[in-house]
Amino acid sequence: MIAMQYALKILGSYGLTVAGVVAYAIYTAVDLTPREPGDDGPRKRRRWGPILVLAVVIAGGGVVVSKFLTSAIDYYCNVDEIGAKGSCTGDRRIRVQGTVDQGSIVESPDGGVEQFSISFNGKSVPVDYSDGAAMPALFAACIPVVVEGRLRGGRVVGTNLEVKHTEKYEAENADRIATSENAPCSQPA
Amino acid sequence: MTMTTTASESSTAPGPVGIRSLRSATATPFTRAIGLATIAGMVWLLGFGLFVSPKDQVQKDAVRIMYVHVPTVYLAYLAFTVTAVASLAYLWKRTRSLTWDRIAGASAEIGVFFMAICLITGSVWGSISWGTYWVWDARLTTTAFLFATYIGYLAVRRLGGSHESRARRSAIMAIIAVVEIPLVHFSVEWWRPLHQNESVSKGELDGLMLFTLFVGIVTFTLFYAWLLLHRQRVMYMEDAMDDRGLDLALAERRQEVQ
Repeated sequence: MIAMQYALKILGSYGLTVAGVVAYAIYTAVDLTPREPGDDGPRKRRRWGPILVLAVVIAGGGVVVSKFLTSAIDYYCNVDEIGAKGSCTGDRRIRVQGTVDQGSIVESPDGGVEQFSISFNGKSVPVDYSDGAAMPALFAACIPVVVEGRLRGGRVVGTNLEVKHTEKYEAENADRIATSENAPCSQPA
Repeated sequence: MTMTTTASESSTAPGPVGIRSLRSATATPFTRAIGLATIAGMVWLLGFGLFVSPKDQVQKDAVRIMYVHVPTVYLAYLAFTVTAVASLAYLWKRTRSLTWDRIAGASAEIGVFFMAICLITGSVWGSISWGTYWVWDARLTTTAFLFATYIGYLAVRRLGGSHESRARRSAIMAIIAVVEIPLVHFSVEWWRPLHQNESVSKGELDGLMLFTLFVGIVTFTLFYAWLLLHRQRVMYMEDAMDDRGLDLALAERRQEVQ
Protein backbone atom coordinates (compact mmCIF):
# COMPACT_ATOMS: atom_id res chain seq x y z
CA MET A 1 0.00 0.00 0.00
CA ILE A 2 2.73 2.42 1.01
CA ALA A 3 4.85 1.30 -1.98
CA MET A 4 1.88 2.14 -4.20
CA GLN A 5 1.70 5.60 -2.67
CA TYR A 6 5.40 6.18 -3.30
CA ALA A 7 5.19 4.89 -6.87
CA LEU A 8 2.42 7.44 -7.46
CA LYS A 9 4.53 10.23 -5.99
CA ILE A 10 7.56 9.32 -8.09
CA LEU A 11 5.53 8.97 -11.29
CA GLY A 12 3.72 12.19 -10.32
CA SER A 13 7.04 14.06 -10.14
CA TYR A 14 7.92 12.94 -13.64
CA GLY A 15 4.41 13.57 -14.95
CA LEU A 16 4.38 17.04 -13.48
CA THR A 17 7.78 17.80 -14.96
CA VAL A 18 6.74 16.65 -18.41
CA ALA A 19 3.45 18.57 -18.19
CA GLY A 20 5.28 21.66 -16.99
CA VAL A 21 7.84 21.35 -19.77
CA VAL A 22 5.13 21.12 -22.42
CA ALA A 23 3.06 23.96 -20.97
CA TYR A 24 6.05 26.24 -20.59
CA ALA A 25 7.34 25.41 -24.08
CA ILE A 26 3.99 26.48 -25.51
CA TYR A 27 3.95 29.65 -23.42
CA THR A 28 7.51 30.50 -24.41
CA ALA A 29 7.25 30.12 -28.14
CA VAL A 30 3.77 31.36 -28.89
CA ASP A 31 2.60 34.84 -28.10
CA LEU A 32 -1.12 34.37 -27.72
CA THR A 33 -1.86 37.87 -26.50
CA PRO A 34 -4.50 39.33 -28.83
CA ARG A 35 -3.23 42.72 -29.84
CA GLU A 36 -4.00 45.08 -32.67
CA PRO A 37 -1.34 47.32 -34.14
CA GLY A 38 -1.67 50.63 -32.32
CA ASP A 39 -3.12 49.15 -29.17
CA ASP A 40 -0.79 50.34 -26.46
CA GLY A 41 -3.35 50.15 -23.70
CA PRO A 42 -1.22 48.56 -20.99
CA ARG A 43 1.49 51.19 -21.45
CA LYS A 44 -0.68 54.01 -20.16
CA ARG A 45 -2.45 52.23 -17.32
CA ARG A 46 -0.79 51.87 -13.93
CA ARG A 47 0.43 48.30 -13.66
CA TRP A 48 -0.97 46.98 -10.38
CA GLY A 49 -0.25 43.30 -11.01
CA PRO A 50 3.55 43.55 -10.74
CA ILE A 51 3.29 45.94 -7.78
CA LEU A 52 1.09 43.42 -5.96
CA VAL A 53 3.50 40.59 -6.80
CA LEU A 54 6.40 42.69 -5.51
CA ALA A 55 4.59 43.40 -2.25
CA VAL A 56 3.91 39.69 -1.73
CA VAL A 57 7.52 38.82 -2.60
CA ILE A 58 8.91 41.36 -0.15
CA ALA A 59 6.60 40.14 2.64
CA GLY A 60 7.49 36.54 1.80
CA GLY A 61 11.19 37.45 1.78
CA GLY A 62 10.81 38.82 5.31
CA VAL A 63 9.29 35.55 6.51
CA VAL A 64 12.10 33.60 4.84
CA VAL A 65 14.81 35.74 6.43
CA SER A 66 13.25 35.36 9.89
CA LYS A 67 13.06 31.58 9.36
CA PHE A 68 16.67 31.66 8.34
CA LEU A 69 17.72 33.38 11.53
CA THR A 70 15.57 31.30 13.89
CA SER A 71 15.66 27.82 12.37
CA ALA A 72 18.00 27.38 9.45
CA ILE A 73 21.42 28.37 10.81
CA ASP A 74 21.46 25.74 13.57
CA TYR A 75 18.88 23.29 12.37
CA TYR A 76 19.94 20.63 14.87
CA CYS A 77 22.36 19.71 17.65
CA ASN A 78 24.52 16.62 17.24
CA VAL A 79 24.23 14.04 20.02
CA ASP A 80 27.71 14.87 21.37
CA GLU A 81 26.78 18.55 21.70
CA ILE A 82 23.97 17.94 24.21
CA GLY A 83 24.98 19.59 27.47
CA ALA A 84 28.19 20.85 25.88
CA LYS A 85 26.95 23.62 23.58
CA GLY A 86 24.87 26.50 24.95
CA SER A 87 21.98 26.17 22.51
CA CYS A 88 21.81 22.39 23.06
CA THR A 89 21.25 22.50 26.81
CA GLY A 90 18.38 22.86 29.26
CA ASP A 91 14.64 22.46 29.03
CA ARG A 92 13.82 23.74 25.58
CA ARG A 93 12.59 22.29 22.33
CA ILE A 94 15.55 21.15 20.30
CA ARG A 95 16.36 18.93 17.35
CA VAL A 96 18.98 16.23 17.86
CA GLN A 97 20.84 14.51 15.05
CA GLY A 98 22.35 11.05 15.33
CA THR A 99 22.37 7.57 13.80
CA VAL A 100 19.85 5.06 15.13
CA ASP A 101 21.76 2.38 17.08
CA GLN A 102 21.56 -1.21 15.88
CA GLY A 103 19.21 -3.27 18.05
CA SER A 104 17.98 -0.29 20.09
CA ILE A 105 14.50 0.01 18.59
CA VAL A 106 11.72 -1.00 21.02
CA GLU A 107 8.28 -1.38 19.46
CA SER A 108 4.90 -1.34 21.17
CA PRO A 109 2.49 -4.28 20.61
CA ASP A 110 0.67 -2.34 17.87
CA GLY A 111 3.90 -1.86 15.91
CA GLY A 112 4.62 1.79 16.81
CA VAL A 113 8.13 2.77 17.79
CA GLU A 114 8.38 3.48 21.55
CA GLN A 115 12.08 3.84 22.21
CA PHE A 116 15.45 3.80 20.50
CA SER A 117 18.83 5.41 20.95
CA ILE A 118 20.87 7.55 18.60
CA SER A 119 24.58 8.22 18.59
CA PHE A 120 27.00 10.60 16.98
CA ASN A 121 30.74 11.02 17.37
CA GLY A 122 31.00 8.34 20.06
CA LYS A 123 28.19 9.69 22.29
CA SER A 124 24.76 8.07 22.57
CA VAL A 125 21.43 9.34 23.88
CA PRO A 126 18.21 7.37 24.53
CA VAL A 127 15.04 8.63 22.84
CA ASP A 128 11.56 8.15 24.27
CA TYR A 129 9.22 8.31 21.30
CA SER A 130 6.02 6.88 22.80
CA ASP A 131 4.08 10.12 22.17
CA GLY A 132 5.77 10.93 18.88
CA ALA A 133 4.19 11.52 15.48
CA ALA A 134 4.07 8.80 12.83
CA MET A 135 7.45 7.52 11.67
CA PRO A 136 8.71 8.10 8.12
CA ALA A 137 8.83 4.82 6.22
CA LEU A 138 12.61 4.92 5.87
CA PHE A 139 13.16 4.87 9.66
CA ALA A 140 15.42 1.96 10.59
CA ALA A 141 18.58 1.12 12.50
CA CYS A 142 21.83 2.61 11.13
CA ILE A 143 19.98 5.53 9.48
CA PRO A 144 20.78 9.10 10.53
CA VAL A 145 17.73 10.92 11.89
CA VAL A 146 16.79 14.28 13.37
CA VAL A 147 14.55 13.95 16.45
CA GLU A 148 12.58 16.99 17.59
CA GLY A 149 11.62 17.13 21.24
CA ARG A 150 12.71 18.09 24.75
CA LEU A 151 15.58 17.03 26.99
CA ARG A 152 14.35 15.35 30.19
CA GLY A 153 16.85 13.81 32.57
CA GLY A 154 19.39 12.74 30.01
CA ARG A 155 16.75 11.46 27.57
CA VAL A 156 15.22 13.03 24.50
CA VAL A 157 11.42 13.01 24.64
CA GLY A 158 10.73 13.04 20.92
CA THR A 159 7.55 14.34 19.32
CA ASN A 160 8.64 14.41 15.69
CA LEU A 161 11.26 12.74 13.54
CA GLU A 162 12.87 13.36 10.16
CA VAL A 163 15.09 10.88 8.38
CA LYS A 164 18.32 12.55 7.33
CA HIS A 165 19.69 10.94 4.23
CA THR A 166 23.44 10.91 3.67
CA GLU A 167 24.92 12.06 0.38
CA LYS A 168 25.76 8.44 -0.48
CA TYR A 169 23.83 6.67 -3.24
CA GLU A 170 24.39 2.98 -3.87
CA ALA A 171 22.60 0.49 -6.05
CA GLU A 172 20.39 -1.91 -4.14
CA ASN A 173 22.01 -5.27 -3.62
CA ALA A 174 20.00 -8.14 -2.19
CA ASP A 175 23.02 -10.03 -0.76
CA ARG A 176 24.33 -7.01 1.07
CA ILE A 177 21.01 -6.37 2.79
CA ALA A 178 20.71 -10.01 3.87
CA THR A 179 24.14 -10.05 5.49
CA SER A 180 23.82 -6.66 7.13
CA GLU A 181 20.51 -7.42 8.80
CA ASN A 182 22.12 -8.51 12.06
CA ALA A 183 25.56 -6.98 11.69
CA PRO A 184 26.49 -3.69 13.38
CA CYS A 185 26.11 -0.54 11.31
CA SER A 186 28.70 -0.58 8.55
CA GLN A 187 29.41 3.13 8.91
CA PRO A 188 29.91 3.74 12.63
CA ALA A 189 28.37 7.00 13.79
CA MET B 1 5.69 26.96 -32.61
CA THR B 2 4.88 29.75 -35.00
CA MET B 3 3.54 33.24 -34.79
CA THR B 4 0.21 33.25 -36.51
CA THR B 5 0.48 36.60 -38.18
CA THR B 6 -0.46 36.48 -41.81
CA ALA B 7 1.83 38.06 -44.32
CA SER B 8 -0.80 40.30 -45.87
CA GLU B 9 -1.77 41.84 -42.52
CA SER B 10 1.66 42.95 -41.53
CA SER B 11 2.82 44.06 -44.96
CA THR B 12 -0.13 46.42 -45.41
CA ALA B 13 -0.10 47.78 -41.87
CA PRO B 14 1.71 51.12 -41.51
CA GLY B 15 4.58 51.72 -39.13
CA PRO B 16 8.31 51.45 -39.54
CA VAL B 17 9.46 49.29 -36.65
CA GLY B 18 9.86 45.53 -36.45
CA ILE B 19 7.53 44.58 -39.29
CA ARG B 20 9.89 42.04 -40.80
CA SER B 21 10.12 39.98 -37.62
CA LEU B 22 6.38 39.88 -37.12
CA ARG B 23 5.96 38.13 -40.40
CA SER B 24 8.35 35.32 -39.54
CA ALA B 25 8.05 32.58 -36.95
CA THR B 26 10.28 32.39 -33.89
CA ALA B 27 11.60 29.03 -35.07
CA THR B 28 14.68 28.49 -37.23
CA PRO B 29 16.20 25.22 -38.46
CA PHE B 30 18.64 25.50 -35.55
CA THR B 31 15.95 25.79 -32.87
CA ARG B 32 14.01 22.96 -34.51
CA ALA B 33 17.09 20.75 -34.25
CA ILE B 34 17.52 21.65 -30.57
CA GLY B 35 13.82 21.02 -29.99
CA LEU B 36 13.99 17.55 -31.53
CA ALA B 37 17.14 16.76 -29.53
CA THR B 38 15.30 17.85 -26.37
CA ILE B 39 12.40 15.52 -27.06
CA ALA B 40 14.80 12.64 -27.73
CA GLY B 41 16.66 13.48 -24.52
CA MET B 42 13.44 13.54 -22.48
CA VAL B 43 12.53 10.06 -23.76
CA TRP B 44 16.04 8.87 -22.93
CA LEU B 45 15.83 10.41 -19.46
CA LEU B 46 12.42 8.85 -18.76
CA GLY B 47 13.77 5.44 -19.83
CA PHE B 48 16.93 5.64 -17.75
CA GLY B 49 15.38 7.52 -14.84
CA LEU B 50 12.37 5.26 -14.38
CA PHE B 51 13.59 1.87 -15.62
CA VAL B 52 17.28 1.38 -16.37
CA SER B 53 18.91 3.04 -13.36
CA PRO B 54 19.09 0.95 -10.15
CA LYS B 55 17.15 1.39 -6.92
CA ASP B 56 19.05 2.97 -4.06
CA GLN B 57 20.19 0.82 -1.13
CA VAL B 58 18.27 2.99 1.38
CA GLN B 59 15.85 5.12 -0.62
CA LYS B 60 14.74 2.42 -3.09
CA ASP B 61 12.74 3.91 -5.98
CA ALA B 62 12.55 7.39 -4.42
CA VAL B 63 16.07 8.08 -5.67
CA ARG B 64 14.62 8.39 -9.20
CA ILE B 65 13.31 11.85 -8.32
CA MET B 66 16.94 13.00 -8.26
CA TYR B 67 17.18 12.83 -12.07
CA VAL B 68 14.70 15.70 -12.35
CA HIS B 69 15.38 17.49 -9.08
CA VAL B 70 19.12 18.02 -9.52
CA PRO B 71 19.25 18.95 -13.26
CA THR B 72 16.46 21.53 -12.81
CA VAL B 73 18.33 23.33 -10.04
CA TYR B 74 21.59 23.27 -12.01
CA LEU B 75 19.77 24.83 -14.93
CA ALA B 76 18.16 27.42 -12.68
CA TYR B 77 21.66 28.40 -11.48
CA LEU B 78 22.82 28.57 -15.10
CA ALA B 79 19.78 30.60 -16.16
CA PHE B 80 20.23 33.18 -13.39
CA THR B 81 23.95 33.43 -14.19
CA VAL B 82 23.14 34.06 -17.85
CA THR B 83 20.70 36.74 -16.68
CA ALA B 84 23.47 38.45 -14.73
CA VAL B 85 26.02 38.23 -17.57
CA ALA B 86 23.52 39.54 -20.14
CA SER B 87 22.62 42.36 -17.73
CA LEU B 88 26.29 43.32 -17.44
CA ALA B 89 26.53 43.30 -21.24
CA TYR B 90 23.54 45.65 -21.36
CA LEU B 91 25.01 48.04 -18.79
CA TRP B 92 28.41 48.15 -20.49
CA LYS B 93 28.20 50.99 -22.97
CA ARG B 94 30.06 49.28 -25.82
CA THR B 95 27.72 46.33 -25.93
CA ARG B 96 24.53 48.12 -24.93
CA SER B 97 21.61 46.59 -26.77
CA LEU B 98 18.05 45.70 -25.77
CA THR B 99 18.77 42.20 -27.08
CA TRP B 100 20.89 41.61 -23.96
CA ASP B 101 18.04 42.84 -21.80
CA ARG B 102 15.59 40.46 -23.48
CA ILE B 103 18.02 37.54 -23.09
CA ALA B 104 18.32 38.43 -19.39
CA GLY B 105 14.55 38.53 -18.95
CA ALA B 106 13.91 35.34 -20.91
CA SER B 107 16.61 33.48 -19.01
CA ALA B 108 15.25 34.57 -15.61
CA GLU B 109 11.75 33.41 -16.57
CA ILE B 110 13.07 29.99 -17.52
CA GLY B 111 15.15 29.87 -14.34
CA VAL B 112 12.07 30.53 -12.20
CA PHE B 113 10.24 27.78 -14.07
CA PHE B 114 13.06 25.28 -13.43
CA MET B 115 13.31 26.37 -9.81
CA ALA B 116 9.58 25.70 -9.36
CA ILE B 117 9.99 22.16 -10.72
CA CYS B 118 12.99 21.68 -8.43
CA LEU B 119 10.99 22.82 -5.37
CA ILE B 120 7.96 20.67 -6.17
CA THR B 121 9.93 17.49 -6.94
CA GLY B 122 12.15 18.16 -3.93
CA SER B 123 9.20 18.45 -1.65
CA VAL B 124 7.72 15.18 -2.94
CA TRP B 125 11.11 13.54 -2.44
CA GLY B 126 11.29 14.99 1.07
CA SER B 127 7.89 13.54 1.90
CA ILE B 128 9.21 10.09 1.01
CA SER B 129 12.73 10.18 2.38
CA TRP B 130 12.58 12.66 5.31
CA GLY B 131 8.93 12.15 6.17
CA THR B 132 7.97 15.79 5.61
CA TYR B 133 7.24 18.05 2.62
CA TRP B 134 9.08 21.10 3.91
CA VAL B 135 11.56 22.03 6.63
CA TRP B 136 13.14 25.40 7.33
CA ASP B 137 16.72 24.19 7.13
CA ALA B 138 19.55 26.18 5.55
CA ARG B 139 19.27 24.69 2.05
CA LEU B 140 15.50 24.99 1.72
CA THR B 141 15.37 28.44 3.30
CA THR B 142 18.04 29.92 1.02
CA THR B 143 16.41 28.25 -1.99
CA ALA B 144 13.04 29.80 -1.11
CA PHE B 145 14.78 33.17 -0.87
CA LEU B 146 16.38 32.75 -4.30
CA PHE B 147 13.03 31.75 -5.81
CA ALA B 148 11.27 34.77 -4.27
CA THR B 149 14.03 37.11 -5.44
CA TYR B 150 13.64 36.10 -9.08
CA ILE B 151 9.86 36.28 -8.98
CA GLY B 152 10.49 39.80 -7.71
CA TYR B 153 12.89 40.39 -10.59
CA LEU B 154 10.22 39.35 -13.10
CA ALA B 155 7.74 41.71 -11.43
CA VAL B 156 10.29 44.56 -11.57
CA ARG B 157 10.65 43.99 -15.32
CA ARG B 158 6.92 44.55 -15.76
CA LEU B 159 6.59 47.78 -13.80
CA GLY B 160 6.25 49.79 -17.02
CA GLY B 161 8.11 52.72 -18.53
CA SER B 162 10.33 52.68 -21.60
CA HIS B 163 12.25 49.58 -22.70
CA GLU B 164 15.47 51.33 -21.67
CA SER B 165 14.32 52.09 -18.13
CA ARG B 166 13.07 48.52 -17.77
CA ALA B 167 16.44 47.24 -18.97
CA ARG B 168 18.46 49.47 -16.63
CA ARG B 169 16.59 48.79 -13.39
CA SER B 170 16.28 45.05 -14.00
CA ALA B 171 19.96 44.74 -14.99
CA ILE B 172 21.04 46.26 -11.69
CA MET B 173 18.75 43.94 -9.76
CA ALA B 174 19.97 40.87 -11.69
CA ILE B 175 23.61 41.62 -10.88
CA ILE B 176 22.84 41.96 -7.17
CA ALA B 177 20.58 38.89 -7.08
CA VAL B 178 23.06 36.49 -8.65
CA VAL B 179 25.25 36.46 -5.51
CA GLU B 180 22.51 34.42 -3.81
CA ILE B 181 23.47 31.40 -5.90
CA PRO B 182 26.68 30.56 -3.97
CA LEU B 183 24.69 31.15 -0.79
CA VAL B 184 22.24 28.42 -1.83
CA HIS B 185 24.85 26.07 -3.25
CA PHE B 186 27.23 26.20 -0.29
CA SER B 187 24.52 26.41 2.38
CA VAL B 188 24.94 22.65 2.92
CA GLU B 189 28.64 23.17 3.70
CA TRP B 190 28.40 26.39 5.71
CA TRP B 191 25.49 25.39 7.92
CA ARG B 192 24.05 22.02 8.93
CA PRO B 193 20.86 21.27 7.06
CA LEU B 194 18.55 18.30 6.90
CA HIS B 195 19.13 18.32 3.16
CA GLN B 196 21.94 16.04 2.04
CA ASN B 197 25.32 17.42 1.07
CA GLU B 198 26.82 17.58 -2.38
CA SER B 199 27.16 14.05 -3.84
CA VAL B 200 28.38 14.52 -7.39
CA SER B 201 31.73 16.22 -6.76
CA LYS B 202 32.49 13.85 -3.87
CA GLY B 203 32.00 10.75 -6.01
CA GLU B 204 29.29 9.40 -3.72
CA LEU B 205 27.04 8.29 -6.58
CA ASP B 206 26.68 4.85 -8.11
CA GLY B 207 27.99 4.84 -11.72
CA LEU B 208 24.70 4.29 -13.51
CA MET B 209 22.95 6.82 -11.26
CA LEU B 210 25.63 9.39 -12.14
CA PHE B 211 25.20 8.64 -15.83
CA THR B 212 21.41 9.06 -15.61
CA LEU B 213 21.91 12.36 -13.81
CA PHE B 214 24.23 13.39 -16.63
CA VAL B 215 21.52 12.52 -19.19
CA GLY B 216 19.16 14.73 -17.21
CA ILE B 217 21.57 17.66 -17.18
CA VAL B 218 22.27 17.42 -20.93
CA THR B 219 18.55 17.16 -21.74
CA PHE B 220 17.52 20.08 -19.55
CA THR B 221 20.39 22.18 -20.94
CA LEU B 222 19.13 21.58 -24.50
CA PHE B 223 15.63 22.44 -23.35
CA TYR B 224 16.92 25.64 -21.73
CA ALA B 225 18.66 26.70 -24.95
CA TRP B 226 15.51 26.03 -26.97
CA LEU B 227 13.32 28.00 -24.57
CA LEU B 228 15.77 30.89 -24.35
CA LEU B 229 15.98 31.39 -28.11
CA HIS B 230 12.23 31.29 -28.59
CA ARG B 231 11.30 33.37 -25.59
CA GLN B 232 13.87 36.03 -26.41
CA ARG B 233 12.45 36.32 -29.94
CA VAL B 234 8.87 36.57 -28.67
CA MET B 235 10.01 39.32 -26.32
CA TYR B 236 11.58 41.11 -29.29
CA MET B 237 8.22 40.96 -31.05
CA GLU B 238 6.44 42.29 -27.96
CA ASP B 239 8.86 45.22 -27.77
CA ALA B 240 8.48 45.85 -31.51
CA MET B 241 4.70 45.75 -31.12
CA ASP B 242 4.93 48.31 -28.29
CA ASP B 243 7.16 50.59 -30.35
CA ARG B 244 4.88 50.37 -33.35
CA GLY B 245 1.87 51.14 -31.19
CA LEU B 246 3.63 54.23 -29.91
CA ASP B 247 4.59 55.33 -33.42
CA LEU B 248 1.00 54.92 -34.60
CA ALA B 249 -0.33 56.89 -31.64
CA LEU B 250 2.15 59.69 -32.33
CA ALA B 251 1.21 59.78 -36.02
CA GLU B 252 -2.50 59.98 -35.16
CA ARG B 253 -1.88 62.79 -32.71
CA ARG B 254 0.10 64.75 -35.29
CA GLN B 255 -2.73 64.42 -37.75
CA GLU B 256 -5.22 65.69 -35.17
CA VAL B 257 -3.04 68.73 -34.54
CA GLN B 258 -2.69 69.60 -38.22
